[in-house]
Amino acid sequence: MQKRWYMRLDWLTLFLWAAIVCFGLVAIYSATHGPASEFLLLTVQNNFSRQLVWACISFGVMLVILLLPARFFQTMAYPAYAMSMLLIVGALLFGREINGARSWLFIGPISLQSSELAKVGTILAIAHLFGSAREQASVLGRTFLGVGLLLLPAALIILQNDTGTALVYVGAAPFILFWSGIPLSIVAILVSPPIAGYLAVVHLPTAIAFSVLFAIAMFFGTHQRSIAIASLVIAGGTAGLSGFALTKLLQPHQVARIVSFLDPEAYRFTSGFHVIQARAAIGSGGLTGKGFMQGTQTQMAFVPEQSTDFVFSVIGEEFGFIGSFGLLCLLGFLMVRLILLGMQSRHAFPVLFAAGTVGILFVHVLINVGMTVGVMPVIGIPLPFVSYGGSALVANTTLLAIILNLNMRRDEFPRYAI
Amino acid sequence: MGIERLRLRIFIAIVIVAIGLLTARLIHLQVINAEYYAGESEKNAVRLRVTQSARGLIYDRNGVLLVDNVPTYSLTVTPRYFDEERIPLLARLLEVPDSTVRARLDEASAWSPYQASRIFREVPFQIFSRVEEHLYQLPGVEFIVDDKRHYHGGVRASHVYGYVKEISERQLDTRKEKGYRQGDRLGQSGLERSYEPALRGESGRRFMMVNVHGQEVKSYREGSEDVPPQSGANLTLTIDANLQALVERLYENKRGGAVAIDPRNGEILALISSPDYDPRLLSGSVSQEVWKGLQDDPFKPLFNRATMSGQPPGSTFKPFMALVGLQTGVITPQTTVTCHGVYYFGRPFKCHGGAHGTLTVRDAIKRSCNVFFYTLMMRLDFDKWSKWGPEFGFGVVAPTDLPEVVSGLLPDSAYFDRAYPRGWTRGYLVSLGIGQGDMVITPLQLARYAAALANAGTLHSPHVVRSAVDPQTGEAFDFGLEPSHRIPISPEHFETVREGMRRMVMENNSTVRWGDVVVAGKTGTAQNPHGEDHSWFMGFAPFDDPKIAVAVLVENAGYGATVSAPIAGLMMEQYLTGSIDQHPQFVKDMALRGKSEGMENGEGMQWRHYFDREEGRVAAGMPR
Repeated sequence: MQKRWYMRLDWLTLFLWAAIVCFGLVAIYSATHGPASEFLLLTVQNNFSRQLVWACISFGVMLVILLLPARFFQTMAYPAYAMSMLLIVGALLFGREINGARSWLFIGPISLQSSELAKVGTILAIAHLFGSAREQASVLGRTFLGVGLLLLPAALIILQNDTGTALVYVGAAPFILFWSGIPLSIVAILVSPPIAGYLAVVHLPTAIAFSVLFAIAMFFGTHQRSIAIASLVIAGGTAGLSGFALTKLLQPHQVARIVSFLDPEAYRFTSGFHVIQARAAIGSGGLTGKGFMQGTQTQMAFVPEQSTDFVFSVIGEEFGFIGSFGLLCLLGFLMVRLILLGMQSRHAFPVLFAAGTVGILFVHVLINVGMTVGVMPVIGIPLPFVSYGGSALVANTTLLAIILNLNMRRDEFPRYAI
Repeated sequence: MGIERLRLRIFIAIVIVAIGLLTARLIHLQVINAEYYAGESEKNAVRLRVTQSARGLIYDRNGVLLVDNVPTYSLTVTPRYFDEERIPLLARLLEVPDSTVRARLDEASAWSPYQASRIFREVPFQIFSRVEEHLYQLPGVEFIVDDKRHYHGGVRASHVYGYVKEISERQLDTRKEKGYRQGDRLGQSGLERSYEPALRGESGRRFMMVNVHGQEVKSYREGSEDVPPQSGANLTLTIDANLQALVERLYENKRGGAVAIDPRNGEILALISSPDYDPRLLSGSVSQEVWKGLQDDPFKPLFNRATMSGQPPGSTFKPFMALVGLQTGVITPQTTVTCHGVYYFGRPFKCHGGAHGTLTVRDAIKRSCNVFFYTLMMRLDFDKWSKWGPEFGFGVVAPTDLPEVVSGLLPDSAYFDRAYPRGWTRGYLVSLGIGQGDMVITPLQLARYAAALANAGTLHSPHVVRSAVDPQTGEAFDFGLEPSHRIPISPEHFETVREGMRRMVMENNSTVRWGDVVVAGKTGTAQNPHGEDHSWFMGFAPFDDPKIAVAVLVENAGYGATVSAPIAGLMMEQYLTGSIDQHPQFVKDMALRGKSEGMENGEGMQWRHYFDREEGRVAAGMPR
């Protein structure tokens, strides 16, 4: 007998979501209620209670979304995308600047970050694009269109002066393409530039060696000379361009921002400050941590942005390796779980929607935790579900809720393979 | 295996690799290097604050508080944490122009942007409290509370106390193992220097949590690792504040030094060096102007003349001559010498006041006959004579608790060989018999000698501190003063000489005595080829049971009888009776009017009246 749709709600995902959000609330509380908190900005001092309200709102949004019919999301995909782009443009035209990014819209007392909310519409649209076209006729055209759907918001967000968030949109592309049916070789070529670029920042010869090895591997994997050459050109080109940009093109302060994580002591009082303080916080947490509200780095507000972008340092300091590794595992489980939920349905839309969501979550986690522990450049993006930020929490919860909804109602989709 | 499963596995692999890489980094930070980063975070957030101990208090012999401490507030800025937009606020609170704050801030930045520098010292309390209320708006701004010495009792006693100053780089080098740190205070002279180990106490430690702006937020581990400071030992001096105040007043316009000693135990009752200075000048932060002024002043107000500046003792030396003569058997109390007003040894050596006729040693002392002592000197063996000097403390450093002392000079043949390489004759020795020539004795040495005459032969170690007691434990410090020394001269000879000194005061119309108190003493005049002679007096009272022995030197002020003797008399009366009511007014006038050559118009006195002048006041009237 077929189960009622609500019997199929994936409680595990819901539990993971609640656990991660609670982790975040605990960390935000600790970061804003210590003895040094009176010196924080007034707005930051209230972050905990506001995040608590946002968590409740997110839960409400999730309930509403779970009640919607499955078809609704495909129907609304393109309108939602259009709405999202309007939001970003609106913020660009009428919004206010916070931390240098003009991505904020104010509706009464509520401030909304357009670039976070627009993720929902963008992923809906791109999942719909790849998920509804049945004939394999123009894979290339569809791919270009799909990438275009991602690049448009990314470009607009760069105009908002929020390169970090734009990078997330671009970074999610390979994940969607990976599940969209295009050859793995193309996906591999798409993944190679960020890796080559990262290596070029760390050590240019390694990046060049990587590019060569990557091209050789691609040749033996595909036996197509053109693919190998394309790999070499794209990976090697990224490495070379990065090296050129760092030495010749960029201003010293821009270079400093990018490379300071490699040798933060050299930039102790400028761009290395975040890295040094976050590293000291996490490292001093040790195996078991200093205990809730006991972290000196956290309580004395040494780590900048510690309730938002650097929230992971609070967990690392106060809950130690056990706490931070635990949180990473929760996030890892959640991502795998979301993909599995998508794959349970035989229709392409839920799979691609899950892929897009997880792609965005993955890039967020990798870059955010990477910068906090000092292996990535400091790119100001939040840790999903954990960092303070209402728009991000609502947007991420919406994405998760849509996956749950599509999974609950997976039988309402016609079965066909992607 | 379907393509979907492959994709899923690849995806899971990617997630695991990513999480694995981040986890590896976490292990690197939190497991392998945890200790290093624990240290880093501690360095960051925990600040060691050394709390200065309260320096020991100083009381006079009657328990009158003389020196204690008052807090001073220094405003510090750590430029890196300071917000330049707050300059107007800070300037307004401090009541100084913006430009002053900006200039001090620039200086501090040039020194170190990351360390707190004192940019305003000795901020008045009401300004301190006003700034304190606004500290939350002033990140990077803090106060350091220091103590500075605060003086009471109506005395300056600057050369007794000495002064305290922030430890210098060089002093720190040799005192690090004693626990001194940069910014600590160190006694630089006087008692503050010699009793530094007792006065200092032990500084405390407070561990404070600081936030990212360098603001102290709370104590570390609820203060469980803090150590409270231990106050320094309180000193009770042998100084009588009223006597000290009187002598200080009497030395107006005079150069020289005076010391009063209790002949029963060597306690210094008063010690003055003039010109002196107001000790408040060197308390707390000292302006360049004051510091340079004191150091470059030709009257040398920082120099302790009572213990470091000597003159030939003049006739005050005659009792010593008589004692040596009697003890060595060169003369007896009955031996007479006839004075015709002049003594010949190669050339004539003059007596004073004409011919004294035939004299015994008692009368020779009473009348201060030079010819008697020229004769005695030439009858003595020079080298044996020289060896008697140290028995009385001449030519040797007095064992005292004041750090600035010199040995002075009592010559011997080795000295003459050095001083006169082209040869010398016995004729060079004649004047030594009356305390002139190559001889240097400090007021402290002369007072010690006067005390030994008073007690008939015991040479005490003169000292200014009676006790030093730890206020926490009540324990007394023992400083191990050198024990008293018995001069190997028969008491009957002392009686002979003391009798001469008694007659000198009581049978002359001396300004020293008052009422029916029996005083003994001897005036002296050190001849000075370069100007006015130096005026000496030494003596003791009461004659039968001496309680005070004094030595008074007024440089370039003429005969001993005219200036030094009145001062000595007033000192004795003050100490023994608590007032100077019984001395006739003309003696007080003599004492006050006497002036050292070159200081008639108050030259060299500006540092003792510095604050009076600053406040537009003039010190007037005699003290108690």
